[in-house]
Amino acid sequence: MLSPLIWLPLIGALVIGLVPNLSAKQAKLGAIAVSGAILAWTAVLLLNFDLSQPGLQMKEYHTWIPTLGISYSLAIDGLSLPLLALGSLITIIVASNGEVGLKPGETLQRPQLFYSLLLIVNAGVAGAFLAQNLLLFFLFYEVELVPFYLLILIWGGQKREYAAMKFLIYTAISGVLILAAFLGVAWLGHAPSFDYSDINTAILPQRVQLILLTLVLIGFGIKTPLVPLHTWLPDAYVEASTPVAILLGGILAKLGTYGLVRFALGMFPETWKLISPGLSIIAAVSILYGALSALAQHDIKRMVAFSSIAHMGYVLLGAAALTPLAMVGAVSQMVAHGLILALLFYLVGLVESKTGTRDRDILNGLLNPIRGLPLTSALLILAAMASAGIPGLAGFVAEFLVFQGSFSTFPVQTLVAILGTGLTAVYFVILLNRTCFGKLDNATAYFPKVKFVEYIPALVLTALIFWFGIQPSWLVRWSEQTTKSLVTAAIPQAEQVAFNSVDRS
Amino acid sequence: MNMPAPTKTKLPPSQHPFADVIHRMESGGAMLPDTPENLMQIIGLYKAYAVPMDFYWRDLLYIGEQVFLNPLPVFKYFISDEYMKRHNHYAGDDADLRIWRGTAEAHPELIEFMEKGELNKKLPRGLHHLWHDRINMEFAEECMRAMLWHRGMYVPVNQFDPYLDSDEYKANADRAIKAYFRKNPVMAGLYKLFPDMFLEQCRQASYYANLGLFWEVMAPVFFEMSDLYDEGKIATVPQAMDFLVNGIFAIAGRPIYHNVYIDGECYEIIPKSKGFTWLYEAALPYVEAVFYRTSPFRGTKSYNAQAGQVPMEQKDFHYGVLYADKFPVGTAGIPPTFLAQDMLHFLPPYLVDYYQQHCRGEDDMLVQLAVSFQRSMYCVTSAVIQALRCALLYPLDDPNPNHLMANRRFFESQLDRFLRPESRIREIQNQNYR
Repeated sequence: MLSPLIWLPLIGALVIGLVPNLSAKQAKLGAIAVSGAILAWTAVLLLNFDLSQPGLQMKEYHTWIPTLGISYSLAIDGLSLPLLALGSLITIIVASNGEVGLKPGETLQRPQLFYSLLLIVNAGVAGAFLAQNLLLFFLFYEVELVPFYLLILIWGGQKREYAAMKFLIYTAISGVLILAAFLGVAWLGHAPSFDYSDINTAILPQRVQLILLTLVLIGFGIKTPLVPLHTWLPDAYVEASTPVAILLGGILAKLGTYGLVRFALGMFPETWKLISPGLSIIAAVSILYGALSALAQHDIKRMVAFSSIAHMGYVLLGAAALTPLAMVGAVSQMVAHGLILALLFYLVGLVESKTGTRDRDILNGLLNPIRGLPLTSALLILAAMASAGIPGLAGFVAEFLVFQGSFSTFPVQTLVAILGTGLTAVYFVILLNRTCFGKLDNATAYFPKVKFVEYIPALVLTALIFWFGIQPSWLVRWSEQTTKSLVTAAIPQAEQVAFNSVDRS
Repeated sequence: MNMPAPTKTKLPPSQHPFADVIHRMESGGAMLPDTPENLMQIIGLYKAYAVPMDFYWRDLLYIGEQVFLNPLPVFKYFISDEYMKRHNHYAGDDADLRIWRGTAEAHPELIEFMEKGELNKKLPRGLHHLWHDRINMEFAEECMRAMLWHRGMYVPVNQFDPYLDSDEYKANADRAIKAYFRKNPVMAGLYKLFPDMFLEQCRQASYYANLGLFWEVMAPVFFEMSDLYDEGKIATVPQAMDFLVNGIFAIAGRPIYHNVYIDGECYEIIPKSKGFTWLYEAALPYVEAVFYRTSPFRGTKSYNAQAGQVPMEQKDFHYGVLYADKFPVGTAGIPPTFLAQDMLHFLPPYLVDYYQQHCRGEDDMLVQLAVSFQRSMYCVTSAVIQALRCALLYPLDDPNPNHLMANRRFFESQLDRFLRPESRIREIQNQNYR
């Protein structure tokens, strides 16, 4: 039941990439059809998912290379399903709007390659979320590296070569560290295979666990990214074209946080608990650093990129806090952030394509109803509100759950994180004040109109952000049981009760 | 009168920042470059402007003469039939002076619009009004107020304004005010308590009349220009400007007065016998107040008087149409969205086609026509400057270099007013300014 999510995009990518002389429109339609099928299949999975079960569901198992311990083992649980759905949604959004961010008159170069790389990325990410074998996960984890490198390199901005190479080096190191950790876990733990279910780290001495966990943390910390492993992100996000930036922020970053929860916390629950204060400090630093850096940016895309670093900090904070509430908040934040970031990048791309600039010092008065970009600006305001955690929108639900859940464990770090949320509001108000409000400049305000079809992805994302904001159970219900079991693995039930009783006193 | 043909200039090139414009004006041209595209825009806009103007002047006179000091002038925009059917004094067979061919009655497009509005449905006038489906008199009142606020323009040439402070005017106004509030003891009592307030309202009513009488002339002029353009008889921007200059001189002596009708009796607050004339007492103050100065209110931009963003002296105000931002913001102020909305209803088809081909087509037609309006007002201002040069200085083909130099000094001094950065004269030189 899960394999189609991997093979469908791969076959689609092959067809689109290899059929000779496909027109841009045909390639696009092909990608839309494939990603539409993926989304539909994801919807089927959502409908068939048993919310009451914390464990893995819809398992698929095929032996592959038994001597190496690699198996084709797939399954989903409450952690991977929401991210899988997010990936499918963002893929179809990108497939149907590959041209967003291009200037008027420009066409998407090498459309066949673009769309097939997009589908390969989708296959790689879906595979990584589904894989229940460490080496299979690693394979998918690495598979999406090359298409992303090419997507940045070919369709990127002026400094794309630099950004792509930096991305490649960082993520390759991330891969090496993760592989080393996985090999260490399996070999030192004498696991019969690399299957996730066969892994037992409890028998490892704590020092070894600590070393292996550090490797995993750095590996996924690069991908997420966490400060100080983040320096590839602003360059990659900014230099990447808008659709690729949406993919990077919406899907790739989630692979990092997924890895942190699934492999770092999942495989080393007790050691994770041991170092969780340190992790919460890293989270707080990431949040504050991301927010302060965003504050200093003049390029609005770069501002959004730095805001992403800050928001990933909330995920780590929630995961470090190890309370059921914070953990479900962390997973919700992955989804909410994916939606909000995709919307922000999409709108910034629209603004750039129509106005020709992303500089907040040049842009002004975009809310002008006649010559400006009023609806785009209005949606940008809404996305900024969602990102800043305004109640009624998805961002609030996730952040509030994280804060509520983590305050009892890490009050100071939580307060710093709340301060970071305040700063999010500050830099977004600056962004909106400079770009959307004020007076539209006469000399430059000959922007082309935004067509209705260009609004559709933004409207879909906005609707979801609204819906999850006013109906949070739709956001958290998928992962509640799974995250609870993850926490239980790290902290015995009795301790949790103690936590809760302290919380309520 | 035709502007003399361009002569070989005997003067060295001007060193003024707008030397090109000055050389063009010395050759009988306008501030606006002579291109077919510019001509089409300005003439189309004159026509679109003339139709609502045909209502503006009627209603302005109606308010000045009939509504007068009504404390609750709720129905001041609901013009009486008499004023709607009133014959223009400068058009039609019974005109005082027949120069232009138009009819004396209201323009057919205006009559149709008054009946059905843009909804194109015959509904009670009140409903059209509340739906904002109407001619926006707020713009006309804003122009009138600009003239009232900027007192003392062109004095002593302009005698109308000082007259408003004279004892004679006060006595005339007093008679009319007392008659008007004869049956209203409350207002009559208030008048006794605050006579200056009522007097100021009366001065405002006089400016209603002033502007109404000014626009009564301009409406047929603009209609005529549009017709001549359609017939191919106006083919260049200088020709259009010349037509305006000729019109200015032809009509310069039109009397400016203010009569108020109370219970069927006429009260002459400013009698015709005072000899106030169209050019000096209406046209010149109007151009100065509306094209150059107006006020820093209700515009696209907020001005902070405490921060020195508003000049201390009203004469230094430069917020008028020649300086205004083109983005309509939904007011009668700067820029006049209400006027743009009015003109939108009466654009000639060629201009609609033209706008649809540029920028955002239908969606930002209000902005595009506001820019065209700005161009057309630069042409009108050019005509005023050329007319003043004709009246005060020398012909453009004068053989005496000293005279030509005097002309140049005059043009340069006029163009100095456009040196300030917010002036749009630089933009209108470029066809891509839309």
